[in-house]
Amino acid sequence: MSENSRALKLAEDNQKLANKRKKAKEKWGIVLDTSKCIDCKACTVACKMENYVPVGFYNYRIWVAEDTHYAKYPVISRSFQPSQCQQCENPPCVHVCPTHASYKTADGVVMVDSKKCILCKYCMTACPYDARYESHATEAIDKCTFCYQRREEGKDPACVETCPPKVRVFGDLNDPNSEVSRLLAYNEYTVLKPEKGTKPKLKYIK
Amino acid sequence: MFLLKTKLNRRKFLAYSGGTLAAGAMATKFSTIKAIASEHGKQSKEPGTKTVPSACAICVNKCSLFADVKDGVIHKLNPNHNFFKSRSMLCARGNVGAKVPYAPDRLKKPLIRTGKRGEGKWKEVSWDEAYDYIVENVIKLIDKYDNRSSIAFASTEGLQEEFFRHLTSVVGSTNSVRHPTLCLASNIQGYSSVYGTLPDADIANAKFVVMAGSNRAEAFITPDTIDLAKNRKEQTFVYLDPRATKSAALADKWFPIKPGTDMAVVLAMINVIISEGLYDKEFVDKYTHGFDQLREHVKKNTPEWAEKESEIPADEIRWMARKFAENAPASVWYPGRRSSFTANDVYYRRSCAILNAIVGAWDRKGGLIPKSGISLKSHEFIFPLYDRVKNRIDGGKVNFAADVLPEYIKSNKGMPKDEVAFLSEADGSWVLFRDAILKQKPYPVKGMFIYKQNPVESVPNRAKTLEMLKSMEFICTIDIQMSDTAWYSDVVLPESTYLERWDPAHSLSGVAPVVIFRQPVIEPLFDTKSMKDITVDLTEKFLQKDAFWVDAWEEDKAYMEDYVKTFKGVPMSHIIEHQLSDYPGAYKMLKEKGCFYKTDKIPYGKTLKEGARLKTKTGKIELASVRYPEAGLYALPVYQKPSQPPEGKYRFVVGRHAQFTQANTQNVPYLLEAYGHYENMLWIHPKSALKQGLNDGDYAIVKSSAGEQKVKVHVTEYTRPDTVFYLHGFGRLSKWLTNVYKVGASDAEILEDYAETISGNALLHETFVEIKKA
Repeated sequence: MSENSRALKLAEDNQKLANKRKKAKEKWGIVLDTSKCIDCKACTVACKMENYVPVGFYNYRIWVAEDTHYAKYPVISRSFQPSQCQQCENPPCVHVCPTHASYKTADGVVMVDSKKCILCKYCMTACPYDARYESHATEAIDKCTFCYQRREEGKDPACVETCPPKVRVFGDLNDPNSEVSRLLAYNEYTVLKPEKGTKPKLKYIK
Repeated sequence: MFLLKTKLNRRKFLAYSGGTLAAGAMATKFSTIKAIASEHGKQSKEPGTKTVPSACAICVNKCSLFADVKDGVIHKLNPNHNFFKSRSMLCARGNVGAKVPYAPDRLKKPLIRTGKRGEGKWKEVSWDEAYDYIVENVIKLIDKYDNRSSIAFASTEGLQEEFFRHLTSVVGSTNSVRHPTLCLASNIQGYSSVYGTLPDADIANAKFVVMAGSNRAEAFITPDTIDLAKNRKEQTFVYLDPRATKSAALADKWFPIKPGTDMAVVLAMINVIISEGLYDKEFVDKYTHGFDQLREHVKKNTPEWAEKESEIPADEIRWMARKFAENAPASVWYPGRRSSFTANDVYYRRSCAILNAIVGAWDRKGGLIPKSGISLKSHEFIFPLYDRVKNRIDGGKVNFAADVLPEYIKSNKGMPKDEVAFLSEADGSWVLFRDAILKQKPYPVKGMFIYKQNPVESVPNRAKTLEMLKSMEFICTIDIQMSDTAWYSDVVLPESTYLERWDPAHSLSGVAPVVIFRQPVIEPLFDTKSMKDITVDLTEKFLQKDAFWVDAWEEDKAYMEDYVKTFKGVPMSHIIEHQLSDYPGAYKMLKEKGCFYKTDKIPYGKTLKEGARLKTKTGKIELASVRYPEAGLYALPVYQKPSQPPEGKYRFVVGRHAQFTQANTQNVPYLLEAYGHYENMLWIHPKSALKQGLNDGDYAIVKSSAGEQKVKVHVTEYTRPDTVFYLHGFGRLSKWLTNVYKVGASDAEILEDYAETISGNALLHETFVEIKKA
């Protein structure tokens, strides 16, 4: 089985899983403490391995951005901001999709049904976070699924699990006892591009 | 001396106990392993999903992992959450391990060279053919030079390395050379001279950390990296480096220190702590030796003096010293890796160790902690005694030792000129070793076995390494990919990757020790073998040749026969069971949880208990060394002003990256991608770029006395104007490393091959380069 056909099978399996989980009550989200990020790229590589994302600079579901606050020798100040699809509660990519290939699962994960996708790329344009790419493996637009294949086993997404300093915490935002809910209760946080009104489920601790 | 001295001891032992008895005892030892042997099934090829615990092998940390295997193919390697040492992580490199067995460039069959060396013409042969070729050449060399030591053995660390070392002993050579003198030999030596050991740092609990040069956020992801990142809000972290690395991004303060002057800062901190009475008097009185001498010694090393040397403001040095004392014992001057900076490195590391000692930040929460291990039962190997053996070429008095020192330190009285004062017998000193081979002093070394190491890319001055290889009559390399060294070999043996083989259990020593092992996650994909199998097979072949044993003892030959029989018949799983047999349930825990440990709590204060002794001459923390003056060295660390680049030249520094540390991962496309570029680039400050007429994206020629390389220019504020840098492991010579063959620039090519003569470590920051537009 080639890497591409594995990618395709994974996409199809995730569609089936989304159907199976139609009554799921969770609302998945990620809380990030980026002050701990050292830009080691464990998350981006783990994501590629887990999801058969092909080699190539433009093929990626998640990324680490660098914020350079000041850089004039000898004063250098910078930090790193890992990110991915914001799994918006109000996802523009879903709204613009003419074939309903992009959709939101019962547990709030934005996914793409590769069979319905016609590669019109409206969604890529609509996404304020540049979180989508064209996959030659699935011949469709592809993106982060919170590693949906891991939901049944209750395992964290690959990026969350593999991270050395544990920048990301994954969990159910609907469950007041989850670690994500507690982190949000006790910390100030922000979301990326709040002005877009997308209501991201990735929350950044300030 | 050296190995021969040990041999004499063993002859003595034989004399005491009677040779036959001793050999008999050995046989019994093997029988224990044999007795526990039983059937051992291969990994199933059946379809379906399985999860297999094993351990990573891409860097030295050996993080335990769980492999997800789907239909016989590795899908994903995941961190092992039982393995507290990795803090539940698997780094970028660990993750791409999933692709290692399937890499198109890996070695798949034994190869014998057909064209000229380095021409890249090979024929695929069977293992038998390869072995016959090797055995024939080894016997030819030993006979020709009447010397088993005429064959050198180079290797780097790994769980199968012990079997390579067995092979060294079977052949009977004293000339083994390992990686430490390209890495941390000076560090081990410096710290050991003070504490009797190289400790770890309790970064998880430290409140004040100073790190000089070890780029912990990038070089390797270790527990220390993670604890630094996690403690960011609670801990004060000061970072000294000529480059603004990602560790600098993590730091509260970054000082772009003038390279080679770190010791001035440390001595000045000691000066402040003593003169302001901030040291831990009770600790110093009770546990240390030589404080009064130290007090006198550092009187001249004021912060104002250190500012002139290091370019770090005196006030900042005072602040660091006071904070260091205030937070003690939760203070750490990080005992980090990275190869020797400059020729004075051993004394520099000594000063770092002393700084921690005087504030009592030793073996207490948040300070330096001596490593501990979990002792495993060994399958001991006794090397045969041969007559045709000579002392190692870089051991004892070496009349050209002074040649490897940089000019400016040659008049320094604390630096040996005719030997390496504390040479490790097993590790040797790479730079001196290679010089001895090239000079054929004291005798010719004309054959070479290389396991896992890639001296062409890892030893400074690549041209010299190639010259050394050229002077060889026989070279055999064992690796998983066609390294540059393999490329210049006569026979290349493909090793099974770490995901396709069993490796013995191993105790990872540290503040809290833990045992890991490896088992096949998948069956070998190609015609490859483990180093263990290769050693056993070759030993068996040697046993068939009487000519090989003419200078051996009968008992030794019988012992080797038993060795082959034992290791052929016993599956590794049973050897591991035997290794762990002192700990009930340990094997089960290892197989189920992927690791075995007794506790994950740090045992503080073992060396501070009544009656405890450190492994130093006085048994105390030696601020003033007792052994050093006996060896003609300074008892206390004396600062040596380093030379600075002349006008128009720049100091070239090495450094590491989160995707590439050694030279074995640059060919992995996923990692090149994570790095963000397909080639390495020269970091140069805007002012210096302007001076040299260079723009970002230009190509430049970087030239030293060792060689020159063409490299893309990256103009950046992230480096000192007098310092340039590019990443290790690019610009390769092996055409089978397709992504990096002649792509980017090699640092081994331009690094000048200096070494210091206390530990024998190579000096990687003593090269000055010219830079011109290409």
